[in-house]
Amino acid sequence: MTTQPILRVDHLKAHFRSSYFGVYREVPAVDDISFDVAPNEIFGLAGESSSGKTTLMKTIAGLIAPPLELIGGKAQFSFMPPETNLYGADPAQLARIRWSKLSYIMQGSMNVLNPLRQIRSIFRDFAAVHIGGSNSDFETKTVNHLSRLRLDPSVLDAYPHELSGGMRQRVTIALATICRPDFIIADEPTTALDVIVQKEVLGMIRSIQREMGSSVLFVTHDMGVHAALTDKLGIMYAGCLVEAGRTADIFNAPQHPYTRHLIHSLPRIGDTVQRTGLTGTPPNLANPPSGCRFHPRCPLASDICRTERPMMRQIATEHRVACHAVAGDDA
Amino acid sequence: MTALLTLNNVSKSFTRGGILSRHRIEAVKNVSFTLENNRPEIFAIIGESGSGKTTLARMILGMQEVSGGSLTLEGNRVGGRTRKERLAFMAKVQPIFQNPFEAFNPLKKIDYYLLLTAMRFGGAVDVAEAEAAADVALRQVGLSLSEIRGRFPHEMSGGQLQRVAIARALVSKPRLIIADEPVSMVDASLRMAIVNLFGELRDKLGLSIIYITHDLATAYYIADRLIIMQKGEVVEAGAAREVLSDPQHPYSRQLRDAVLSPQVTGSLSIQ
Amino acid sequence: MKRIIFDLLKYNNEFRIGVFLILIVVTMAGLSFFSPYPPNDVFVVPPDAPPSADYWLGTTSRGQDVFWQLSIAIRNTLAFGLLVALLSRVISIVVGLSSGYLGGWVDRVLMAINDTFIVIPLFPILILFYFVLRDSMSTILLALIMSSLGWAYDSRLIRSVAMSLKTREFTGTSVFSGMTIFEILRREHLPYVLPIIFSTTLNNMNWSIGLEVTLAVLGFMDINTPTIGGMIYWANQHTAIVAGIWWWVTFPVITVVATFVGLYLIAVSINEYIDPRSRLSRMGGGQS
Repeated sequence: MTTQPILRVDHLKAHFRSSYFGVYREVPAVDDISFDVAPNEIFGLAGESSSGKTTLMKTIAGLIAPPLELIGGKAQFSFMPPETNLYGADPAQLARIRWSKLSYIMQGSMNVLNPLRQIRSIFRDFAAVHIGGSNSDFETKTVNHLSRLRLDPSVLDAYPHELSGGMRQRVTIALATICRPDFIIADEPTTALDVIVQKEVLGMIRSIQREMGSSVLFVTHDMGVHAALTDKLGIMYAGCLVEAGRTADIFNAPQHPYTRHLIHSLPRIGDTVQRTGLTGTPPNLANPPSGCRFHPRCPLASDICRTERPMMRQIATEHRVACHAVAGDDA
Repeated sequence: MTALLTLNNVSKSFTRGGILSRHRIEAVKNVSFTLENNRPEIFAIIGESGSGKTTLARMILGMQEVSGGSLTLEGNRVGGRTRKERLAFMAKVQPIFQNPFEAFNPLKKIDYYLLLTAMRFGGAVDVAEAEAAADVALRQVGLSLSEIRGRFPHEMSGGQLQRVAIARALVSKPRLIIADEPVSMVDASLRMAIVNLFGELRDKLGLSIIYITHDLATAYYIADRLIIMQKGEVVEAGAAREVLSDPQHPYSRQLRDAVLSPQVTGSLSIQ
Repeated sequence: MKRIIFDLLKYNNEFRIGVFLILIVVTMAGLSFFSPYPPNDVFVVPPDAPPSADYWLGTTSRGQDVFWQLSIAIRNTLAFGLLVALLSRVISIVVGLSSGYLGGWVDRVLMAINDTFIVIPLFPILILFYFVLRDSMSTILLALIMSSLGWAYDSRLIRSVAMSLKTREFTGTSVFSGMTIFEILRREHLPYVLPIIFSTTLNNMNWSIGLEVTLAVLGFMDINTPTIGGMIYWANQHTAIVAGIWWWVTFPVITVVATFVGLYLIAVSINEYIDPRSRLSRMGGGQS
């Protein structure tokens, strides 16, 4: 990488550990994950339920609380002092970077917007400390910013429940971007929205990102959204990153058997090809399969897959795969 | 040619508000379509939230009263008034719900529901017959009673649970299944198994399925006919592939254009 | 069930203390069956004797052994509390579940009745009953009256659980599996309601015992059935504290306080066990 990545995740490991009433459980939800996010880039994290993508996102964001524990590795942002994770960082420093350098767009807009406060007050709560200036200056800045998301200034007077779901989500995005952060973490921001509104909201995320040059870590299970929005993509399965690379490469030439199957199983309008689902069931992370976690469901599984976990190998420019069969080390 | 399910200008309105200020919400307005008896098909109802599709489904299942128009199953009113009528109706029409993890009581074993359905509708008189009927239904969805016996819902994946729910619906040998967003909460990799299963049920068992969804891609893939609903009204209807390939109504066009296809074509569909 | 109890005993301090206290109280109550003196007889032993080897907790001014009198009293009081709690549970379950599930006019009628019972001022009503019934007011009758007054709060609680259960999809599955309404309420919904029932039972016991003690201390009680409140009443009548006969008052009070605290601790610890969020906070995590 010629420019310094804005986020570097290096062999990150985070497990859920619980000891309750004599029963000890360890779930390796994030198991040795490494990837980089460059500046001005939308990096997508794809995966199904129990793939660990949400836990990975939380770990990167420093939202680690028992029973989740950081076991090893690091997730470092370039705007933090070198060699410091967000987790365990100095609270004063965290307060400075939160929202001005790093912000979040969450799935439920009502998780972010206080139902008892007007939108104007919410903006002030979040951003005034970073932007500064007088009240009227702040208001002008806010109104200008809202217009980028095609939101009328009257929205500021409203309470969250008075707005529709789509408008609320746009307010959440405005909130997350008003301080022009370097990095935005988005967790399924459009999943609960109608298809038509989703397209609009995704378009706004894209245009704001381009305008501000921020990077976005976009977590969703919807492959269509990844195909349309992201520049790079990482595919997660059972707590491991199985494939990562440019989105176009992954969709046009998927290498890992799981990715291949996932992409080919989705129907498209205009196409009547018979599609099939994957056999088997997603693994129980409390007791994952030995070796490669995908081997029970993999058509290419061989002996080595059952015993040894494959590591990520570079197979093309910016395209990595963790698979014995594909990376050609079955000899 | 008798009809299986006939909807004639079906409407549903709710009144909200207290004594002094009431206003009506028209959830469903003048919906009409017919499913024929000897022509099994998958009929998709497409709409976003607030389109009235779930209210319509509940009316067809007899879980909600019809405000206007007529809704009949083989000539009789849906639902039925007495317990006997209701049982006869439910034997013919069964639901599949959206959330497979909620479809069964988390505190109970799932085979319990299969056996119960077999005894109430399947004509089984004792446990042995009920188990046999349950096993037959489970095999139709690619599972078996020995796999399911004694399991709780949290021990299974969403795809498996949804298949068990379908099996339960098949026990009474119904004529019509109402599936309300059956795959939206199922993982993408397991989704097609269930969608393909619907096709098999139509072809092999002669079942008609009303498939309610907001996902146009799966509707295109599996449905024979469809209607598109917006704010309670039907804006477009016709053969599934025809309508989705070339929609006429502006809302249908908007809907079709908003679908994000899982492929990278070079020109970004966003921006 | 057994495993839950063993787990709680092993890991939860509150539960252990609660169980310990209740065991003591229940043992005392059980010993009442071996009492050498009939419960209502007076002057069977020398009066006003302080605690000693012969009379473990001393004797009262009426010539009764405090220990044996207390054991009978606590037995009656516990039985009273249990009876009120059980009867009122039955009423609140029936009203709450039906009202929540059926909705419509059934719900409105039942809740109107319910709310009437909530606002009835208990204490004056009970005193009124006493004045009307006088000598025919037995403890059992009091229990019946109190249980018909004590169900209202909890039935609203149960009703809200029932209403949310109605919208869950497995209720639809049960309907289409051919269950009758009664079967659905009993088999599907009742298990969700049981944790509430359990903790409110213990609370209800505390409430009814407290009320009974209050009434008895004031003299509104059945003289023929010795209860804790009765003992304190008689102690007051004989001005025991002033006369220096402290053991007559102290030991009943300690016993009833032990009962309250024990029931409370058990209720709180079982509740915590059942509620997943509190489990999480015990482990040190659980922000959400």
